[in-house]
Amino acid sequence: MNAPSGLDLADIPERIQSEVQRAIQRSIKGVEYFSTSGPTLGSTPKDILHARGTMNLYHYRPLSDEVYRVPVLIVMATTNRGYILDMVPGQSFIEFLLKRGYDVYMLDWTAPRPEEKSLRMEDYVLDFIPDCVRRVREDSGEQDVSVIGYCFGGVLSLLYGSIFNDGPMKNLICFTTPIDFREMKLFSNFSDRRYFDVDGLVDSVGNVPPEMILSSFEMLRPASRVASQIQLWENIWNDEFVKSYRMFDRWATDTLPLAGEYFRTITKDLMWDNKLYNGTMTVGGRKADIADIKVPILHAVAEHDHIVPYEAAKHLIAKVGSQDKEEVMLKGGHVSLVAGANAVKRLWPKLDSWLGGRSI
Amino acid sequence: MADKSSDPVALWQKMIGEMEKGFNAFANQTMSSPEFSKAMNQAGGATTGAQRQFGEFMEKYLLSMNLPSRAQMVGMAERLQNIEGQINEIRAMLQQMNAGAATPGFGAPRPPRTKRPPPSSAPPSSGEQK
Repeated sequence: MNAPSGLDLADIPERIQSEVQRAIQRSIKGVEYFSTSGPTLGSTPKDILHARGTMNLYHYRPLSDEVYRVPVLIVMATTNRGYILDMVPGQSFIEFLLKRGYDVYMLDWTAPRPEEKSLRMEDYVLDFIPDCVRRVREDSGEQDVSVIGYCFGGVLSLLYGSIFNDGPMKNLICFTTPIDFREMKLFSNFSDRRYFDVDGLVDSVGNVPPEMILSSFEMLRPASRVASQIQLWENIWNDEFVKSYRMFDRWATDTLPLAGEYFRTITKDLMWDNKLYNGTMTVGGRKADIADIKVPILHAVAEHDHIVPYEAAKHLIAKVGSQDKEEVMLKGGHVSLVAGANAVKRLWPKLDSWLGGRSI
Repeated sequence: MADKSSDPVALWQKMIGEMEKGFNAFANQTMSSPEFSKAMNQAGGATTGAQRQFGEFMEKYLLSMNLPSRAQMVGMAERLQNIEGQINEIRAMLQQMNAGAATPGFGAPRPPRTKRPPPSSAPPSSGEQK
């Protein structure tokens, strides 16, 4: 027998019981939530190969009996911490790569200090990345290096690959990497050159504070933080949900400041003049046109990416000069493309099948 | 088991999801306007200006209290950074010196670079895929 609404009356007692149990669990787990810390993130064993100011180069210890000849250098986005790619065992992209036989290095960032406000785009592209590539080559004993860039790490990798197009980068993989900054509509509007005084901001604050970066990300979906907290409360009885929530929430709010001069260049050259898309970008006086990239390239984009919409990323593959190039669009958002249960099933195996054959 | 269309909890969750989407869409539409950008940047500029003035005031105040200024602290931070850099260099040298030792991490024997991909994941000969 059904109630007028279609609810099966026989199920009502069972449902009430289940909801009461969950309500009790919410109370208990809610207290636990506030009295415990979240899971330990970024725990895959690694060594710091080099550290200099805002830059850290890690080498992860191998987890397989033999590795591919070509080492992999991951270039993290400058706004966020690299542990998004190394959450917890079983949900770590780094661990996945190691177990599949890759020799993995990561260029990760710490908050630039006040005295590092003068770091420019050329420091990142012409110094930090080449320095790390050189150290990876020395450490591994190999001449070739594959580079993986996530989000703005992808932009830096593209700029590096454009300028150093005669090696030693052997393969390039970009995750959710924008090149047409006009299509990042809201960011573009926030930084409208008629109203946004980037010089005034940088001259005043030095490094752009993380709160400002975080706010600009959260403004893209202003209701989502409240909605996610409601979801957390509803699911706080569910340990797996809470663990996942804490991991992603901690990472999302652990935003890094940006070096002032670097931010000034991003705003003027990329947001205002769209130079990467137009092929007019220069870094430290050197031309950086992605048409000059000739190495095999894979670009993974997310179907529901609200930070880097597909429109902003879709021209990358068409514009690079490589013969061997592929774009893959996968279900998920900007973060779930690379981390979490979605990534385990979709991106990681795809990347492995693409990169394995190109790493020998 | 009740179907999802009549489950009050599922309906509540759906409603929250729809409200989130609706509010985000509305906010995005509002934030896309030049007027929003103008207002946001004016407010931001005023805040930044106030912060700068406050900072200058604090500098003078700290000076009068015979406390280190920001510039002096930055100078100390630079010196500490240099020391950290040197410690890291020494650490790297020590690790290289221990390269022969069979301890985990630096210097541990490394696996051979002989891995081959499974036959199904060989790269295509050439050509663009999309």
